[in-house]
Amino acid sequence: MKYAYFPGCSLESSAKEYEMSFKAVNKVLGIEAVEISDWNCCGSIDAVHAYSPKLSLSLSARNFALAETMNADIVALCSACFFTLSRANKMLREDSKLKGTVDKIINDAGLKFTGEAKVRHYLDVLVNDIGLEKIAQNVKVPLKGLKIVAYYGCLLVRPPQIRSFDDPEHPVSMDKIVEALGAESLDYSDRTRCCGASLVLTDEIVMLEMTKDLLLSAKNIGADCIVTPCPMCHFNLDAKQKDIESHFDLKIDIPILYITQLMGIAFGVDPKELGLNRNVVPVNKVLEKLKTPVQVAPKA
Amino acid sequence: MKNGASKQITDQTRDSAFLEDVRKTVAGKKILNCIQCGVCAGSCHARFAMDCSPMQIIKMIHLGLKNDVLASSTIWICASCYTCTSRCPQGIDIPLLMSSLKNMAIENKVPAKIPTKPKFHKTFTEIVGKYGRMHEPQLQVALMNKKSPKELFKNARLGMKLWRKGKVKISPSRVNKKSDLEAIFQNALKKEEQK
Repeated sequence: MKYAYFPGCSLESSAKEYEMSFKAVNKVLGIEAVEISDWNCCGSIDAVHAYSPKLSLSLSARNFALAETMNADIVALCSACFFTLSRANKMLREDSKLKGTVDKIINDAGLKFTGEAKVRHYLDVLVNDIGLEKIAQNVKVPLKGLKIVAYYGCLLVRPPQIRSFDDPEHPVSMDKIVEALGAESLDYSDRTRCCGASLVLTDEIVMLEMTKDLLLSAKNIGADCIVTPCPMCHFNLDAKQKDIESHFDLKIDIPILYITQLMGIAFGVDPKELGLNRNVVPVNKVLEKLKTPVQVAPKA
Repeated sequence: MKNGASKQITDQTRDSAFLEDVRKTVAGKKILNCIQCGVCAGSCHARFAMDCSPMQIIKMIHLGLKNDVLASSTIWICASCYTCTSRCPQGIDIPLLMSSLKNMAIENKVPAKIPTKPKFHKTFTEIVGKYGRMHEPQLQVALMNKKSPKELFKNARLGMKLWRKGKVKISPSRVNKKSDLEAIFQNALKKEEQK
């Protein structure tokens, strides 16, 4: 099946390993994801929106216009991009006056969009188009003995009025993937609690407090690692984990993997292709727990 | 104003046009449907850092307390996680409402309780205007408190760590068709002013 792939800005830099492992998983599962040519910022949930709602919607609309020529569902990896594009799509479809305003803004650039392209998250594609059976069939290194917390973050399944492929309060799609890979997924209370998102840039202490709770409840139930499908969550849980430890005088030390990295490990993909050396909290102790230990070369 | 609308409300503190202005925004259309049940307030993961709860903000809008709403920390702290909205029995898009209130605070030049926030929105938008995409290092550097040596040191340390991990892209990624961007930004921002 072919998809119009929307990477989103962080996939090109701080979340490079998400894209690397996404491509590796696609190769194994035969998913054809073609990057939307010349895509731009999704429009942002709030960052551009608070500055100018029309600008934010017009940025989303340009992406729709580019994607619609591809006749395929739009697939985003970043939960925030997925949400922003879904919300813009819904707002523009339901409010003809608003759509008229945005049409006028983008028509000058020779762009047109209908709003017909479906916006989906990669996790939705994995579970509902590819299926757990096919995922399980491709496992070469079963993740037996690993205890994993599936952390969904807030925007992936919310709000139900927009588009939902899973339960907004207690999603399970990623847990099912974790189990298909042979690992144990733990019952985790904070699966959709917010990590603080972009507050990391503007009100760091609030974000540290919010992410600390997520990490501690995962540690409390004995997680070997946390998997996430969102680059923003990944940044706060992984790159900021040391700052959380020093701010609250705690020892947490939980590796944070993208769900695609975990899948790649189970599919027997070379760790270098999965960018496992790019995770800030070292992932070695997760790999060492496996029956067939996987080696990660340090990043030069 | 800790705990929301606990002060005496007089005609001078009310702005009768405020409610109507909010109702003109996409998210504001439904705010008269609010039943003050408090599910948003109880669900909010960032409530501990806000001066008023989302429920109180909505009541304050009903009462026309423009200055208090736009000067609250609540509108800036909201991380748009949408927990409130997915539980709101009236289907009110509270994060989008907060976004519109931020927009009003910026336009009305109301000093923000979280001083870095207006700069965050402005800089984010400017970077997207320049490249069509976000360039993370530029945003990070623009928002750093350069007067605090402790913070500078901390950011430099994290920056180095991310650099070593290959997570910092020095040259920004760009949209090729610059004319698209220019047309969109010019038209959208011009029409915003005419509003």
